[in-house]
Amino acid sequence: MAETLALQRALAALVLDPEGAAFEEDPVGFARGQGLPEAHAEAFGRFPGGLAAYRELARLSLVDPIETMFPVTKALLEREGAWEGCIDAFLQTRCVGSRHYRDIAPAFLGWLAETEWGMATWPFLLELAHAELLEVLVARFPDGILPEGLQETPHPGDRLVLDPATQVVAYRHAVHRTSETDPVPEARPTHLLAYRDAEGRAQLMDLTPAAAALLVEAQGRSIREAAQALGLADLPLPLLEELRIRGAIAGFMPA
Amino acid sequence: MAQGRFAGQERFTGVGLGLRRPHLEAVAARADHGVPFWETCPENVIGDGGRPHRDACAILDRDPVLTHGLAISLGGFDPWDEDYLGDLGRFLVRTGTPWHSEHLCFTAVDGSWLHELLPMPFTREAARHAAARARDLQARLPVPLLLENITYYAELGAAEMDEADFIAEVLEGADVGWLLDVNNVYVNALNFGFDPKAWLSRMPLDRVAQLHIAGHKRFGTLTVDTHGADVIDPVIELMQWTLARLGRPVPVLLERDNHIPDLEDLLAERSRLQAAYDEVLAVPVGGGRG
Repeated sequence: MAETLALQRALAALVLDPEGAAFEEDPVGFARGQGLPEAHAEAFGRFPGGLAAYRELARLSLVDPIETMFPVTKALLEREGAWEGCIDAFLQTRCVGSRHYRDIAPAFLGWLAETEWGMATWPFLLELAHAELLEVLVARFPDGILPEGLQETPHPGDRLVLDPATQVVAYRHAVHRTSETDPVPEARPTHLLAYRDAEGRAQLMDLTPAAAALLVEAQGRSIREAAQALGLADLPLPLLEELRIRGAIAGFMPA
Repeated sequence: MAQGRFAGQERFTGVGLGLRRPHLEAVAARADHGVPFWETCPENVIGDGGRPHRDACAILDRDPVLTHGLAISLGGFDPWDEDYLGDLGRFLVRTGTPWHSEHLCFTAVDGSWLHELLPMPFTREAARHAAARARDLQARLPVPLLLENITYYAELGAAEMDEADFIAEVLEGADVGWLLDVNNVYVNALNFGFDPKAWLSRMPLDRVAQLHIAGHKRFGTLTVDTHGADVIDPVIELMQWTLARLGRPVPVLLERDNHIPDLEDLLAERSRLQAAYDEVLAVPVGGGRG
């Protein structure tokens, strides 16, 4: 038991840790450094190419979904010569804690949020990465059970119920306007509504600050009360009905 | 042994396809695809949502399906995720699969998932451990468990036996079925210089319930199981040799995970393999249900 686990830990270190990059220079030394018994350490020297392939293959498996989901973040950091360092730092923390392949990209986002990696240089980095993943998360959000009694037409006394996949997000930068060729966002407050349309595709909509606030507030109190609290002169009932038709709002709950 | 071991297995024969995300919408829209069964990875369906998920569920509810896990980390040491095993069990019952397969490897260490099929040491200790884990997993699943032989690119640590003996010892020790990946045998034979037919002749073929077949690619001195190319003739010939040796129409699954072609091209590749299958077993195979 102990030797099998030690060997698995050594291979994981070869794949994920910085010293794994130097494995091919001294495979036996690397294995000894992992505390393996001499016979096992010497075996690492018999298959240096094959073991090194595992570092490449496993890192490719982990990095591929990140590169796919965060093309603008990658473009920005590559331009700054920091992408490889970012990936190395992420992998080294071993924070992919899910068996689901789809959870690798969210794990990367979570790592950025937790460590604030690169934020001193690129204060918008976390927002940029979040915006890149937002549509994917909305598109794949598990279907939920809606409360009974939802109405299609809003009335001032109703509360609104968002579709379970819908997210109202606020950024300090216009990160949704970036591209791989122009990855640095303008610094301006941005409010977005991300929702799933009738075809199941994620859609993004720019919101005014007032509309964003209303969509949040009117979930916990009536539309009228929420509008009053926000100082809105008019009740935007046509907008709310439009958002229900588009799929962002699941319906309206009478008081 | 495999005959009669798996209730409902008679529904599965011929050459099926792995159900992949780029094809979900097209497959859901047509029941006349001619694919006798699909294979799906529970990790990719359980807990997912949205339009592709609905398409996947529609296919799973309509067509015959086998299930094939990617990341249970059978040979690892992390405790089972009981919540996931509960979800997995319900998923297996829903699909009506006659068995569920996992890889004979490890994919996670100390709670960190590497998302790669990593090789077990070919030692008595590792064989006992993998067999015990397989028995334990089998006791928690509602259908019989199969283990699949993987490609490996290096021996992990000092081996006390060769790969064939290791696999046989685990299968026998766990008393589980075998998902025999003939491409993996072929790739391992290339990388380690052995005769794949001689290798197979040593193995407990009575435990085989299903075959996998796929494409591979050579990178320098190493051949890698990429699932990213058409199946080459020598692998098809090895599949035919194995089927003839088995003497029964076990289902064959074509895996394609990289450079995934259009559905029509993949269906054509499947038909090519089906013809090779029929050539050996002369078993007519119908289309999917519905």
